[in-house]
Amino acid sequence: MTTTVVQEALTLERRADGRLWAARGGAARPVWVLRCFPWSEPVRFVSLRDDDENEVALVADPAKLDDQSRSALEAELASAGFVFEVTGVLAIEEEVEIRHWRVATRQGERRFQTRLDDWPLELPGGGLLIRDVAGDLYRLRYPRTLDRRSRELLWALVD
Amino acid sequence: MNPEQRSLDEQIITRYTGQPYRLPADLRREVERQWRGDPVLLYALADLDHSLRLAESWLLLGPRQVAVATLLPAGAWDVRSFDRARVRAVRNVPGLSASTLTLAWESGEPPLALVRYTHRQRRAIENIRVVLEEGLEGRAVNTGDPDDAYAEGVARPVREAQAMVAGRDTAVILRLLSYLRPYRRQVSLGLGAAALITLVSLLPPYLAGYLIDRVVRPAQQGLLPAERAATIAWIAVAAMAGAYLVRQGAAMVRLRLMSVLGEWVARDLRAELYEHIQRLSLSFFSRKKTGSIITRVSADTDRLWDFLAFGVVDVSLSAIMMLGLAGVLISLDRQLGLVMTLPVPLFVWAIYRYGEALNRLFLRAWRKWSRVSDVLSDTIPGIRVVKAFNQEAREIGRFDERNRAVTDEFNRIHRLWTTFWPLVMLAVHGTTVVVWALAVPRLLGGGAALSVGTFISFLLYATMFADPIETIGQIARTMNRATSSAHRVFEVLDTEPEIREAPAPVRLEPVRGRVTFENVTFAYDGVRQVLRGVSFEVVPGELIGLVGPSGGGKSTIANLIARFYDVSGGAIRIDGVDLRALDLGHYRRQIGMVLQDPYLFHGTVAENIRYGLPEASLDAVVEAARAANAHDFICKLAHGYDTVVGERGHTLSGGERQRVSIARALLHDPRVLILDEATSSVDTETEREIQEALDRLVRGRTVFAIAHRLSTLRKASRLFVIEDGGVIESGTHHELMMKPEGRYRRLYELQLHLA
Repeated sequence: MTTTVVQEALTLERRADGRLWAARGGAARPVWVLRCFPWSEPVRFVSLRDDDENEVALVADPAKLDDQSRSALEAELASAGFVFEVTGVLAIEEEVEIRHWRVATRQGERRFQTRLDDWPLELPGGGLLIRDVAGDLYRLRYPRTLDRRSRELLWALVD
Repeated sequence: MNPEQRSLDEQIITRYTGQPYRLPADLRREVERQWRGDPVLLYALADLDHSLRLAESWLLLGPRQVAVATLLPAGAWDVRSFDRARVRAVRNVPGLSASTLTLAWESGEPPLALVRYTHRQRRAIENIRVVLEEGLEGRAVNTGDPDDAYAEGVARPVREAQAMVAGRDTAVILRLLSYLRPYRRQVSLGLGAAALITLVSLLPPYLAGYLIDRVVRPAQQGLLPAERAATIAWIAVAAMAGAYLVRQGAAMVRLRLMSVLGEWVARDLRAELYEHIQRLSLSFFSRKKTGSIITRVSADTDRLWDFLAFGVVDVSLSAIMMLGLAGVLISLDRQLGLVMTLPVPLFVWAIYRYGEALNRLFLRAWRKWSRVSDVLSDTIPGIRVVKAFNQEAREIGRFDERNRAVTDEFNRIHRLWTTFWPLVMLAVHGTTVVVWALAVPRLLGGGAALSVGTFISFLLYATMFADPIETIGQIARTMNRATSSAHRVFEVLDTEPEIREAPAPVRLEPVRGRVTFENVTFAYDGVRQVLRGVSFEVVPGELIGLVGPSGGGKSTIANLIARFYDVSGGAIRIDGVDLRALDLGHYRRQIGMVLQDPYLFHGTVAENIRYGLPEASLDAVVEAARAANAHDFICKLAHGYDTVVGERGHTLSGGERQRVSIARALLHDPRVLILDEATSSVDTETEREIQEALDRLVRGRTVFAIAHRLSTLRKASRLFVIEDGGVIESGTHHELMMKPEGRYRRLYELQLHLA
């Protein structure tokens, strides 16, 4: 399987089967997307993969795609890059071996747990990322702008 | 799944996730009605809607149907069912925190169903996906109880992260205290000694007051003859000395008794824990990190020693002491007593709050400390890479930055406690000043009468307040630490081994080594089948080569033969008897294993060779070593067979460790032998020596040899090609090479070409 970096001829579209299709030179196939740099360059370097997980193309810069392809790709990236966006921390409690969180997110209120020695991760592009025991991700985009109570609760866990 | 396990999982889901702990009953009824009575086999929550907001939809699987049910704003269910037979493809697209499962019909047509879900639902969704995919391949999967599968899938990550013990903290503490039961006498003596210390401690201040009021002042005023005063004074002084002697004697008895007692209880816990760990199945060890298990046996039992030896007595006696002192002070002088005792709850509260603040600071310091540790655990093992890329300066800078950060945090802690305790003491002294301010006018004759002796006694009692206040203030922390450790220890003790001995186990005397697989299926997680209906028969003395791609099921076959796990379906028979009916200990003594990375224990070479047969003679040890081509290199070691090999045998090379492990297997003389990649990680010359040793080892035994290098298996009686959970080809090397399109032939030719 050959890998091609930025194909002018690459076009993308969402078809009736609900999938993103990549077409180049008359051949088309369904693909799914993988961000190569999900935090430092979330909208560049997008790897398009077929059902066998082989790379079909690497879109280094979506701005070089035509409008329709770009918007189809952006829609796909939205679901592939989904993480909970934390807007407030409501409670943090420590229990045996786990830390129990209750947070407000853009998607709704959520309860989750982290291991006691799993700390929020500082992201290259700014903000913090928390990973719960199930593997779900919670992003605090601007920790310093959270309300006072949230910042107090987070104080011991972040710088 | 046993009812307790399911109940625990349901409690976890309710308490920690806030999502339903099982399929809503009304939805199940509605779906089964639509399916004309067909039961729900599996279900999962799809907790994101199409715009990626949290929502409640359910994906349900029946014997012939699939349904997606969405909760409507009015509280009703929108159920869409379709036939399973219409599903032509199952696709799962993973994302950072949300995945999409699509059940497709014809390519290009809108999907039959598309659900989005967070990682929390992954296992439950995967269960359905696997069953559908297996169905597309024409294979049926036994799904088990749907409620169990869902609860297990959702609760598992929390259960794996947390030591959960059914019951409240008080129940855990009571259970912990029950370990003191065998030492009732020592506990009673220790408590008695502690009570005596408390009582005797009250005597010297009383005597001081008595001496001043009843002896010194009357003598000074000429109301008591000097001789009589001296006699009473000396008796009082002697009584005081006696009180101190008794107090320290009781303290010695108490300290010794309780510390020894704590050690006994910790020893009992460690022994029970270690014995239980030895009986646990391999699945427990794959779920828990090694470090976590070691911590439970070492640090947690040590912490419990501390609690049992001192915490229990200290806390209870501090409470008694504080109440006793308050009573004595108020009875000595109500006004001054109230001045001293009323602020005590405030002090206890302040110390409690201080503890909370300190906890937050320690949490920060712990986090920063872990960043320092990260640098160390990164760079020390990887020092060659650091040097090779000339990155020493950068690593020093990284360490310095983190070292400074952790120092800042510790200094913040020091600032807190060095501020807090002087302030507390200032408050205590402030109380004393108030007491003085109120007492002085009375001592000088104004207001209610107050004798000097009573006042001295009062002051001496007042100084005894500080310690119990501090102990009571820290009670929450003491209890938290103890219950955390107890939870972790009891979690292991409450884990039941999955491999159980049959009620009337059978002993094969002797084991001949006929191994029969009858339609064996196996899944590590209960759903994803690693083996699918594997059947074969191996006669005693055969050497069976297991070959095929990684993940095909070769090692699983070996694990099942050793009965590290029980089959999910079908049966394995040894000499015609179901493996599950055999005496496990006796059977395991007939099994030998030589692994790719042989594990040697800390000890001498001889002890390692004798591991399975500690009573073996030295002659037998040397003979086994010779047969394993190990005798020569062992003799050349500085201390020969008495050489200590170090932890995991790190002082020996890979090939040497392998030959010692072969000698160990030879001495053990097993009827059934498993060789798992025994020669894969050594050089050609070493491989030749090991191969010679293995040739001697396999003679007269039933052998299962797993190898990627197919050339090492040419002497095999038969070869089984294992792929995708089944035996897809079997026969001798020659027979398999005769198949023009055979999988084995292709693999063999590929390896020959690469060589």
